[in-house]
Amino acid sequence: MKLQATIRGVTYTFSSVREVLAKANPPKSGDDLAGLSAREPVERVAARATLAQLTLADLRANPVVPYELDELTRLVEDNLDEGAYAAVKHLTVGQFREWLLEPKTTGAVLRSVAPGLTPEMAAAACKLMSNLDLMVVGAKCEVVVRCNNTLGLAGTLSSRLQPNHPTDDVEGILYSAREGLSYGCGDAVIGINPATDTPESTAEILRAIHTLRTRNGIPTQQCVLSHVTVQMKALDLDCPMDLMFQSFSGTEAGNRAFGINVSLMDEAYDKMRRLKNSAGPNFMYFETGQGNALSSDAHHGADQVTLEARCYGFARRFKPFLVNTVVGFIGPEYLEDGPQITRAGLEDHFMGKLMGLPMGCDACFTYHAKMSQDELESLKVLLGAAGCTYLMSMPVGDDIMLNYQSTSFHDVPTVRSLVRKAPAPEFDAWLASVGISSGHTPGPRLGDVSVLR
Amino acid sequence: MPVLEALLPRVLAVRRIPGADPALLRAYGADPERHRSLGLITVDQDDPTYVALDEATKHARVDVVYARSFYAGSKHQSGPLSGEILGVIASDDPSEIDSALDAILQTLAHDACFYGANADSSIAVFPHVIASLGHYLSAQAGLRPGEPMAYLVAPPLEGTLALDFALKSADVRLLKAFPPPTETNFTAAWLAGDLPACEAAAMAYAEAVVDVARQPRDR
Amino acid sequence: MSLRPLSRTRDLVAQLRRQLGEDDPMPPRAPLPPVELPPQRVFPSPSRRSRLADLAAAHTTALVGIGSVGTRYATDVVLQFQAELAVAHGAVATELPEEWAVAQGYVSLGSRVTSHREFLLRPDLGRRLAPESAERWAATCRKEVDVQPILADGLSAVATQGAGPALMSAFIAECEKRGFSTGTPVCARHARVWLEDEIGELARAKVAVILLGERPGLGTGDGLSAYLVYGPKVGNTDGQRNMMSNIHNRGTPPVDAARRLAVMAQLMLEQKTSGVHLDLSPRAAELGEAARGGYRAPQVRTRLVEG
Repeated sequence: MKLQATIRGVTYTFSSVREVLAKANPPKSGDDLAGLSAREPVERVAARATLAQLTLADLRANPVVPYELDELTRLVEDNLDEGAYAAVKHLTVGQFREWLLEPKTTGAVLRSVAPGLTPEMAAAACKLMSNLDLMVVGAKCEVVVRCNNTLGLAGTLSSRLQPNHPTDDVEGILYSAREGLSYGCGDAVIGINPATDTPESTAEILRAIHTLRTRNGIPTQQCVLSHVTVQMKALDLDCPMDLMFQSFSGTEAGNRAFGINVSLMDEAYDKMRRLKNSAGPNFMYFETGQGNALSSDAHHGADQVTLEARCYGFARRFKPFLVNTVVGFIGPEYLEDGPQITRAGLEDHFMGKLMGLPMGCDACFTYHAKMSQDELESLKVLLGAAGCTYLMSMPVGDDIMLNYQSTSFHDVPTVRSLVRKAPAPEFDAWLASVGISSGHTPGPRLGDVSVLR
Repeated sequence: MPVLEALLPRVLAVRRIPGADPALLRAYGADPERHRSLGLITVDQDDPTYVALDEATKHARVDVVYARSFYAGSKHQSGPLSGEILGVIASDDPSEIDSALDAILQTLAHDACFYGANADSSIAVFPHVIASLGHYLSAQAGLRPGEPMAYLVAPPLEGTLALDFALKSADVRLLKAFPPPTETNFTAAWLAGDLPACEAAAMAYAEAVVDVARQPRDR
Repeated sequence: MSLRPLSRTRDLVAQLRRQLGEDDPMPPRAPLPPVELPPQRVFPSPSRRSRLADLAAAHTTALVGIGSVGTRYATDVVLQFQAELAVAHGAVATELPEEWAVAQGYVSLGSRVTSHREFLLRPDLGRRLAPESAERWAATCRKEVDVQPILADGLSAVATQGAGPALMSAFIAECEKRGFSTGTPVCARHARVWLEDEIGELARAKVAVILLGERPGLGTGDGLSAYLVYGPKVGNTDGQRNMMSNIHNRGTPPVDAARRLAVMAQLMLEQKTSGVHLDLSPRAAELGEAARGGYRAPQVRTRLVEG
């Protein structure tokens, strides 16, 4: 394994695979903050040239956090599909990138190889790819999941309806939810981030959304994004929980800061399987986002792209219905501006899809990041073209509780018609039956909440 | 849409049978002594498909054993994969079937097609010139493989008037006329002559159809 | 697949199309009568909003019932939205003037941050005092106090300059009323929450309280948050802090906030701990809302673009 590359007579030597992975990243303020970035642009290319020569077997042998120190590393290593891994282990990362881009490497082929890939492999390929490369491969991956409806089919683009409210006023939540449904939003989930993290309020909100959903015969699912331990208690209150939610970090220490570990999640998954309200085989919902490990000082000297991929290594254990990268939420100290947030959204979508997950993206910014509304709108179209499973949606993209700017109710039908993608088929049929939209075409009752009872 | 824009044929189904049952071979006009494999295709436009089937005989060792248009055309098809025509090619070698199907698909995608003769393309014309016939259509037309032929199709009145115009516009002779109603209720004609004559006749035909479409009652 | 020569038919038809004068790929433009004025769709304000927006306004500040043009926003909504965004961005971009703290009668300290951009990108530097500030503070501040109050810019200097001084004075008065000794009033520039650890540690304070501008929301930038820690010391983590957010007139007014913060400081002094280990229940009645963890109270969205 050679950890050096020469550019114009200057030889750049790196001390570890972890350092190569970090320095190969495009500029990210979070890597600067962690002191991991390449010192200058040529060193960044040298790191990429070095990375391109490493084999996937080298990457498996050198996880960014050691096996002995981290249960996520152990989880990935101990559960890797050896057959799938054997098919690609001999490829260098450079060859792997080209193989991914080959037209004959179809979505079906990518699906077969996914369980044999470690997060480091997905992250490594990502670092050698341009934004369009990431989109081309992302669009090829077909990850189809089923809960009360079916997400991720070719030609579809779904959305989470996020009717948050600063005091969990259920009437207020319902006003936003009905408005969103009338714009064709909410086929991925109607999901509320609660202001109060208690089992009782979780159950109360779930019941209210369930009533709205069943009264109108809307084929989607409801979820309240309280802490997983709170949702486990809420399940005992006999409430209609379709999806169980939790935020993930890319290291054991990062997850400790979130108050979770693998065995807790196993327990949560098992309890949900027994007590859930929903129909299908996929019923978990996870959120991630570059930089969250560093924010709890749990990054072990690894870069934020690789750590993000490790979240996906954790998530795939639970065959989730939704995985969402909340790409610009964490702030400019991790993703500084429009180009960095755009890049991260496409990276996360690509890595998650490559690892076999139904990736959605909360394309968003906080008001202290340097991103314009126009840049954010562009990112939504890029994600739509890249085959992103779902986007968020809220009134004018303004989350009145979490104070950030995301996708709006209006943006979802707009992107659908631009990239000619339809909602999930079951949901599409409901929308057509009430005249809101049909396929990617807005209908006569778009935005008309009176179609809802 | 302006006039004379291409109306692209849609291929609805393409399958092959590497080793077909002898009874099936016989039923569709193939010869079990010489043929073993079949290629099947359905398309929503019949005439471009006849041209494409003929084209295939120039690029692969195949025979067109069966090709028939369906009654009243693709707007009245028996199913979403039926379209307007079923074409069957036969060979002793499955790989020849593959090559022939490739040629058929390429011709349908990039060459033979109907054109709209009015703004909404509700009137269609097929003024196709075959520079070099294959052995399928040449046998039907009574020409030799390699000779040119104008293959002309339009709705009944438009096609009738246009044929007169075409015959008078160049040194061509009428090989075969298909007066209406045909299976699809269009009218067709095959003209022979040298290549420039066939081309001139075909364009005169197209121009005449456009003219009728513009002024249907101008006596 | 090998390339096969195509027939010339398509070229011939293209030529014929040119001859017939049909080469323009677009049909002739249709004549257009004067366009009708679109129906008025407006940002919901008390005087002009739909019945739905009216009903919703009783429950939420989310912008619902705003209609659409195709799938997009009406012009009025766009302008209001852009105004709200500009207010939020303006609040983030505003820096606390260097001389402001002294003019208000506070000791003025700075973190290790040297520019506004660095402040946004390097939270680590915003958590520590610049060496000069640390030295000056250690040399001059009142020591061994019960409570060290700190005002700071945080993510909205607009909020700090707005309600900051009133909140500081009210908080200090509430502490003195309860008999706590308070430290030298200080104001820190380019400060993150954890800066309270170093400032409080140098003053050997039992409790440090930092009052700072919070991350602005759409159309707002005037909110302050407060973070309290028992035993301030460099290296403390978030689990050791208690907080109150949304201190502004539409949320918790500064006077109420000052009283509740003093109650929290009292609990810390009584229990000698803070954060997850602090039991708020003994004084739950005095804390009111604050006991349930401060969240933004519903607030009316104000119309920013006139006319």
